[in-house]
Amino acid sequence: MTEVESLRPLAAVAVSAVAILGILAAHRRPNLRESVTLVSATVMFGVVASMVPGVLNGTVYVTRLGEVVTGVPFVLRADALGILFAVLASFLWIPTSLYSIGYMRGLDEGGQTRYFASFAGALSATMGIAFASNLVVLFVFYELLTVSTYPLVAHDETDEARSAGRKYLAYTFGGGVAVLAGTVLVYVAAGTVGFSAGGIEGLTGGAGTNVARLAFALLAGGFAVKAAVMPLHSWLPDAMVAPTPVSGLLHAVAVVKSGAFGLARVVLDVFGPDAIAEIGAGLPLAGLAVFTFITASVIALRKDNLKRRLAYSTIAQLSYIVMGLALLKPAALVGGLLHVPAHAFMKLTLFFCAGAIHVETHTDRISRMAGIGRRMPVTMTAFGVASLGMAGIPLLAGFVSKWYLLAGSFSAGNVVFAFALLLSGVLNIAYFWPVVYGAFFETREGSDEKPVIDANIGGYWSGVADHYAGGAFTDGGHGDEDDGGWKKPGWRGGEASPFVLVPILVAVGGAVVIGVAPATVYFFRIVRLVVENVTGVAV
Amino acid sequence: MSATVDLLTTVPPAFVVIAVALVIPFVSDRVGHTIGFVASLGVVPWALALRSSPGDYIQTAFMGFDVVLLNIDAFSVVMAVIFGGFGAVAVAYSYYVDASRIQTAFAVSYVGTSVGAVLVGDWLTLVFFWELMAVTSTLLVWYYGGKAVRAGYRYALLHGAGGSLLMSAVVLNYVQRGAEGFVFTGEGMASGLPAVLAALGIGVNVGFIGLHAWIPDTYPRPGIGASVFLCAFTTKAGVYGLYRAFPDGNVALAYMGAGMTVYGVVYALLQTDMRRLLAYHIQAQVGYMVGGIGMTSALATAGGFAHVFNHILYKGLLFMTAGVLIYRTGENSLKKLGGGLWRRTPVTAGAFAVAALSISGFPGFNGFVSKGMITAAAGKTQRYVVGGQDILWWLMMLGAVGTFMSFVKFGYYAFVKGSYEGKVRDGNIGQKLTVSALAVACFVLGVAPGLLFGILPLSDEWTAHPFTTGHLLEGFTLAALGIAGFYVARGAISRIGVARDVDSVYNPGVFYGTRAVARFTTMAYTAVDSGAVRLAGFCTRAVNQPAETARRLLPEGARERYDERVAKKPGETGTRAGIGETVLMLSLVLAVVMYLFL
Repeated sequence: MTEVESLRPLAAVAVSAVAILGILAAHRRPNLRESVTLVSATVMFGVVASMVPGVLNGTVYVTRLGEVVTGVPFVLRADALGILFAVLASFLWIPTSLYSIGYMRGLDEGGQTRYFASFAGALSATMGIAFASNLVVLFVFYELLTVSTYPLVAHDETDEARSAGRKYLAYTFGGGVAVLAGTVLVYVAAGTVGFSAGGIEGLTGGAGTNVARLAFALLAGGFAVKAAVMPLHSWLPDAMVAPTPVSGLLHAVAVVKSGAFGLARVVLDVFGPDAIAEIGAGLPLAGLAVFTFITASVIALRKDNLKRRLAYSTIAQLSYIVMGLALLKPAALVGGLLHVPAHAFMKLTLFFCAGAIHVETHTDRISRMAGIGRRMPVTMTAFGVASLGMAGIPLLAGFVSKWYLLAGSFSAGNVVFAFALLLSGVLNIAYFWPVVYGAFFETREGSDEKPVIDANIGGYWSGVADHYAGGAFTDGGHGDEDDGGWKKPGWRGGEASPFVLVPILVAVGGAVVIGVAPATVYFFRIVRLVVENVTGVAV
Repeated sequence: MSATVDLLTTVPPAFVVIAVALVIPFVSDRVGHTIGFVASLGVVPWALALRSSPGDYIQTAFMGFDVVLLNIDAFSVVMAVIFGGFGAVAVAYSYYVDASRIQTAFAVSYVGTSVGAVLVGDWLTLVFFWELMAVTSTLLVWYYGGKAVRAGYRYALLHGAGGSLLMSAVVLNYVQRGAEGFVFTGEGMASGLPAVLAALGIGVNVGFIGLHAWIPDTYPRPGIGASVFLCAFTTKAGVYGLYRAFPDGNVALAYMGAGMTVYGVVYALLQTDMRRLLAYHIQAQVGYMVGGIGMTSALATAGGFAHVFNHILYKGLLFMTAGVLIYRTGENSLKKLGGGLWRRTPVTAGAFAVAALSISGFPGFNGFVSKGMITAAAGKTQRYVVGGQDILWWLMMLGAVGTFMSFVKFGYYAFVKGSYEGKVRDGNIGQKLTVSALAVACFVLGVAPGLLFGILPLSDEWTAHPFTTGHLLEGFTLAALGIAGFYVARGAISRIGVARDVDSVYNPGVFYGTRAVARFTTMAYTAVDSGAVRLAGFCTRAVNQPAETARRLLPEGARERYDERVAKKPGETGTRAGIGETVLMLSLVLAVVMYLFL
């Protein structure tokens, strides 16, 4: 691994920080303001992408910026794991910005300057998290991310939004404090807080197993708050009060993945799989992850509000990543890390679709969405494809990461994890597919009550007798001529504007590409490189 | 020769069929059905041309593992031939029952994924196509709307679970076996947990007893064209998968298969909905195939695959004839059909008779040959012998008698008994053509079975003699017993009424159980969450307003005295000391402390 001094890590962080000024300056000219966002997103992605080939060859890009405190250097370092997160976040910011334009203008929202400026700040902090070279720098940018996303969560300025924002701050700052405490303990035990693939030397030996366990518990617990591991997850469903692009950002790109990323740094680069196995911390964390994804999937069954259902689905899917990291086997690590981009694309598609439905029809509840596929076929098809991916159906990204997670679970010996994963897959079908069948194959008059689990057992048609209303019966099927009760205004047939639709197609297209040809996608290669560096095993 | 092979093996036919399916929605009904028909039919000559060049073709890497996208051997060829050929006939039938091209697009994609599943050479790609088969068939069921939607949801959940079990078996097999990867080695699943998981996962698809209830639940629901597709592919791809998992057979499988033949037939006898009756017979006949795969002899295995081939032909024909009756009368149930239809719908009645004789194993039709191979192999089994023959053989014979009985019932109530009031016509020209084609095929393969034997696998390890006196006698005896049995039992059968199957236990069990778990979890979590929020609020207030918090914690009496004192004068808390005295006291205390510690 060769280190190369370069300004590119700093440039990635600084681009959108500078863009904040541009956005604020262009306050009165919305088109110029939005162009600043789009340009800085493209430039940021360009900078990060330019580092990918080098990283795949073993180069690590480093920017040295002095010291935070004595003995802790302020260094931004683009290594394989960091590049994985940075490429994902910066790439997805581009469609999210386009979507934000369509969404905010479609709903004629206020406070758009504050919104776009905070977004830029959040992405800047995300790049900082990705390129942090030690726990302290990571902590600094972690807290900056919380600060910059607060205005986004409380955007609506209603009482509900403000209390959701307060809850969000309480949880995430609490987590940040735990991370700081853990960082201090690591520094005391090992003398350094810098990341090193495979773990910091002498961390468990130096101060003893119990101190190491405490440090792990604090660090993992602190990061687990943002990674929405139960019981620290409840800020996430309440934060759904934010505008949908923010929920997409929170759930796919920045905040929750930064929690998972922090956990990955702790498992892979602070402690290392061997040390964690030594202190016996892997199994409890994996058990907590299993509890989270089963419980969250069960709770999701009962949610009528689509965004809340998606929130609980996110909580569950993030714990796939946590479980993959906690199982410590190479295949599990590959599965967990690959799920970071896989889930990001799929979940972003789902959130974008939910937002498109909100913009076009002001419908938020699944129980009112029967037949909507006839008005918004492209949107709902993308939703259907993404929910196939969530269940782990082949041709989509979810299948690839699920396969590796299964292999890792079985090779870790404990088959319970594998079966829990499979049960969660079936629960995914149970809570997502009713939305899809309701949208396309039901009509407003003849639809099951949703949520399915809270309604009667047979659905709408259970009481209806099995006969046809006289005459010859043909194979035309029910309800394929009518519009399901939804009006289709205009020539576009009721879909949202291209600003909203194109990002949906980009996100679902990414999910399909990762699923069909994973080896051609950089994410897969980067993940394998990370795991090879950490464990020495080429998966 | 080799150049032809190279050309034919560049692209797996499944990709072509699926590509055509994606085009169908964008063209007219007639063009769509035509290209679907041609694409599916094209698989037949393709497979037959490659039959003499077995091997692994198109080896590539997917997700970092070695996969074989195309594997030609006798097993995959016979499956590809029947899937492709029947798929084409089913597309033609769909056109003539006025199916929409969207439905046919879903159906053709289902055919494509099934053809894909039986032509791959490794477990990873098999699972890949297995899941896609489940998705495409779910969409096909859902398309009809109405009751089919909820049934399709149950179907999706159960197949999701089955697919997950198979996936876990494949991955566990790989983990246990090490660096061999997923490519078929001819050894099947590692014994122990992988074998059990594979059996259960595939068992959902083939309809093991207890895992079968989706077949009668789902197959009667969608339109008649859709049912014709559904009856052929999922269950038989399951049989193929079962062979790959257990190439040397398995005792438990053999007995499960025999059990399935009787279980399916008993429930079928009690049905009045035509397609539901036929659906239970799918389970029964697949029982013969599973029994064949489970028994170790080559004759049994070849018989199992022969039965796959023949069954698809006659079962498709049965669904088609039932479909014509539904198309013309608008009724699903034998009770409401009216009866006496043989005069009005002679072609349909004739085709039905051929299919009924085939499924029952009457000599002269194809079912007799393949069923005979399996029962002959069962006759040679000597494991749990009762009355001169193994239990396996008795169960299969019982199943055969029951099959006869239930088709006599079907034929009697639909075509013979009573007479139809009102107008009804026979099927239209296309419907007549398609059912006749299949009926002819059933007859030809019944009198000239060598045509089928030519493409069956393991051909140098077995020889079949279907037309021995013993076998013929067996066939006629079973027929007689069946007809007699129906006349004796017909009153009792109609009195029994509704037959409850296992899903009347597990459907409410899973539904209400999950609801209870979900409600409990949400309540528990809400309680924990509000408790946590209250605790956080308390801590914040305690830190912000210590005096107020302390006051709240005081007991009643003390609190009243405190309130009185506070009310007296703002700023005074009840002490008599002034500022000067306070400062003096503090200084004294500090001095003492510093003296003691320094």
